[in-house]
Amino acid sequence: MLLIGALPEPITSAPLVVFIYLLLILMVAGALASVLLRSTLYAIGAFSATMALVGLLYLTIAPFLLFALQLLVFTTISAALLIALLRETAGLRASSVGPFSREWIIGAAVSAVLLAVVAVVVGATSWPVHVCCALPESFGGTLRDTYTVGLAVVIVGLAASALGSGLLLAAPILPSSRGGGSPTDRRRDRPRGAPR
Amino acid sequence: MSAGLNLVLVGSAALFAIGAFATVARRSAVVALLGTQFMLVAGGIAFVAFARFGLGAANATAGASMALFAGAIAVAELAVGLAMAVLIYRESRSFGVDADGG
Repeated sequence: MLLIGALPEPITSAPLVVFIYLLLILMVAGALASVLLRSTLYAIGAFSATMALVGLLYLTIAPFLLFALQLLVFTTISAALLIALLRETAGLRASSVGPFSREWIIGAAVSAVLLAVVAVVVGATSWPVHVCCALPESFGGTLRDTYTVGLAVVIVGLAASALGSGLLLAAPILPSSRGGGSPTDRRRDRPRGAPR
Repeated sequence: MSAGLNLVLVGSAALFAIGAFATVARRSAVVALLGTQFMLVAGGIAFVAFARFGLGAANATAGASMALFAGAIAVAELAVGLAMAVLIYRESRSFGVDADGG
């Protein structure tokens, strides 16, 4: 296919460029923290922070509120589900670090500085968010007309995943030689009067 | 100094690489699940970048639609992955996915 016309211009506004660099660096750092942290709870927190940064990046480069809303909902739901999963299984252990220890104070200071940087960028630039009118009017039409098959596949995929995960969770688990099995099975098999 | 397609694609590639590392190298099912989410989001970032800076800018709704689809697939994958993580925990009392359950 012949390329007709020029590509869109890159973003050249200096504060916006700095902001994008900052977002990308923080995004990669958050993802690395999420992968490398040993505490699963902290890993989930870093994951949520990374997703929020991705949402900010979407808003900055392509001001469609849809993306940010989608990511916000997705991050909230996934973090809630993961924390609920931890609570139901391994349990949420309290942090061994006190609320006023040095680590918390340093973390709060770094967070305050980052918030101040964001506030300065928002104040110094015209924040590229259009709440209602940035979406192309034909977006719904494009989804419906051009990507009919894709939309149908996604709907079927979501329904199948919901059904599949429900069936997986409902399936009975037999006790294994590795000490597992469902809690009810273990409770039933334990002799009366035996210590827990 | 400018921010264009290359910069965002580099960020997307870095996120994808981190996700691939988590999926392949970490033994915890939850962290592996987070890794797959990172890979899907990296794909979405690339779609949005091409829609904004690349050839897709002539029809920006294409990139938006693809990113929306990637997000929907991520939600579906998260549901199944969480169910599998619960099953793994019930089986071996840990989230480890290797043979010794570590």
